[in-house]
Amino acid sequence: MNLPEITLTAWQILLVKVGIILMIFPLAGIVGGYAEHKIMAHIQHRLGPMYPGGFHGWAATIADTVKFIYKEDIIPAAADKRVFRIAPALILAPVIMTYLVIPVDRTLIVEDLDVGIFYLLAVSSVSVIGVLMAGWSSANKYALIGGLRAAAQLIAYELPIVLAAATIAMLAGTLSLVGIVESQDWPYILWPPGIGLIAFLVFLSGAVAEMARPPFDMPVAESEIITGPFTEYSGIRFMLCYLGAEMGHIVAFAGVGATLFLGGYRPIVPWGPLEAIPGLFWFLGKTFFMVFLFMWIRPTYPRLREDQLQKFAWKILIPVSLALILVAGAWVLYAPEGLR
Amino acid sequence: MAIDEGMRTEQDPRLTKARRPGFGLGLLKGLGVTIRHMLSHNKVIQYPDVKQDLPPRTRGVIALKEENCTVCMLCARECPDWCIYIDSHKETLPPKREGGRARKRNVLDRFAIDYALCMYCGICVEVCPYDALFWSREFEYSEYDIRQLTHEKERLSDWMASVLPPPPLEVGAEVPGSPTAAPAATVEATAARPATTTSSAAEARPAQAAAAPTTGTAATEAARPAESVPRPTEEKKAPTAAPAEMAPETLATGEPAGGGTASDATATAPATSPEASAVKAKPAPKAKAAPKGKKGKADSTPAADASAIEADPAEAPKPTAEEVAQYQETPGPNVEVPHEEPKPIALVPTEDPEAVYREVLEEQLAKGSSPQVAEARAKVARVKAERGIKRGPSGGGS
Repeated sequence: MNLPEITLTAWQILLVKVGIILMIFPLAGIVGGYAEHKIMAHIQHRLGPMYPGGFHGWAATIADTVKFIYKEDIIPAAADKRVFRIAPALILAPVIMTYLVIPVDRTLIVEDLDVGIFYLLAVSSVSVIGVLMAGWSSANKYALIGGLRAAAQLIAYELPIVLAAATIAMLAGTLSLVGIVESQDWPYILWPPGIGLIAFLVFLSGAVAEMARPPFDMPVAESEIITGPFTEYSGIRFMLCYLGAEMGHIVAFAGVGATLFLGGYRPIVPWGPLEAIPGLFWFLGKTFFMVFLFMWIRPTYPRLREDQLQKFAWKILIPVSLALILVAGAWVLYAPEGLR
Repeated sequence: MAIDEGMRTEQDPRLTKARRPGFGLGLLKGLGVTIRHMLSHNKVIQYPDVKQDLPPRTRGVIALKEENCTVCMLCARECPDWCIYIDSHKETLPPKREGGRARKRNVLDRFAIDYALCMYCGICVEVCPYDALFWSREFEYSEYDIRQLTHEKERLSDWMASVLPPPPLEVGAEVPGSPTAAPAATVEATAARPATTTSSAAEARPAQAAAAPTTGTAATEAARPAESVPRPTEEKKAPTAAPAEMAPETLATGEPAGGGTASDATATAPATSPEASAVKAKPAPKAKAAPKGKKGKADSTPAADASAIEADPAEAPKPTAEEVAQYQETPGPNVEVPHEEPKPIALVPTEDPEAVYREVLEEQLAKGSSPQVAEARAKVARVKAERGIKRGPSGGGS
């Protein structure tokens, strides 16, 4: 099949890339939201949405989106209106920006930055500023408490994530995400023994905390501080900054986790027929597995207390990840050549 | 994970065990529990699309069988919410004979239940002596207007179509209307006993069957006495077991208790569900288990037991020796437990009542009680002394 040759100028290519990335986010929100409804429902012996769209309520999140768009957008009289309006965008933009560097296939990537993982971690922590802005500008005590909790939680859990990612970068010898995937060998997470697995667990805890999902959902904790920073939001702003951002975050962190620990677009077993399957499907499969893991964790564990959360980060996760860096460094320096 | 040191104050061993570090294995166990629940069969009934088969005794709505109502007003008076409205008038019927007195009859004009008030306690259904009220399983009668929730007698009568026949009695349940005080029947010959139960059941049940709404009920009710028809033949097979020793017992004690247990043993037969073998298997061990509990009957039991065990294998293949032994060890749920009669308080006067009266009167007056109170307390003390009831330390009334 001969496709017609298309030549695009640089700005046209940029437009196409931006268009695709912007489409991924709503797709992630709709598919992820539906998956979360259904998985949580079945774990709790419910059915979840069954009516919208006919077959097992497949259109539930689409209908939800339409509903949120139609709802009134209320801004409290006492709110700092400009900050209140900007905050959802500031929460959402970094989430979308993380999609830029995640390699879906060897060449299917928006931008293979040399400092990919550094960029990713730097960008993903920006959204907490949006959360803090939302909490502060709402003129609501619950929103304020939630915003401050979110900030404290980000500081506590950003470190373990960075250190776990740094461990992987050390083992790979590169900061580029494509380079990291290429340097990984089967079995991805299990080699070097222990290091990968512990780094993965640290990353998982940190990711759940940074997304503010149960059991680390004190910033939003709907039963104590009524969804924290998003208390005063309604309509489309609520959808974007809370529901949308959460789903976007899940997909982003799942993609990062699949890339760093599960071998990204490479087949799970280096075996002939499996190698023939395009890397896109391997990446999507691993990402969905990670998404499922996040959604599996959510109904399993109860919410921690705020001080337990901080204690867990500072007393367990950070020392463990620091020790991990030492071990990884020793491995890189002293491990026999054949094992590495 | 994060163990709070400050909470470690209680000494409950379970708590200390739970707080021992598990190195995250408990977390994995939790994940295992949730995934197992996710993969297990989901039993949700999607209500508006799929309707649940509710239990037969569901308290959905109360149905009225109008022709059974005699306007006795018991339901309206017993209703805790006063949600039943009954109006009636008297009609005069012509006398039966020439020159006789005209007869009167109560005619139901209005029977309404306000379901906005009803709390579904079912007292009206329980209390109705003429079986005019029934529970129905229907529950979908919500309204947009609260006034529509008052169902008049036409609507209440319509609910009768949804009333189910009463469910069959549970195994071992007492047949309603069975003779509890019929020692004469048990004293008589073996064949007489099943005859009495059958007849009494036939008497009691059709009374309900007539009241029951659907033809299905009548059929099941009719079937019930029929079930116990083969009883006499069984009774011949285990002849010595129950009645032989039941008879002297009832004669000796003079209580209806023996008759009660005997009828209980037979009552299991019609109550047990359709499987005929089970019906046959039950009564013999039951009848033996009952006399075993009685005191002073040990001499006659072993022989009867042995004969019954011998008779058993011939009767049906079902009850083995172990089963029989099990029945003897653990009697069924409805075996009558011998209870002691309350003893009257001894009427032995211990003190001279008049002396007590004077003593208490003086004591009370000395304490500063008013003359009336002192006299009343003294009188109480005197009565107690007369009846030999011990008085309190104060010597006074209370």
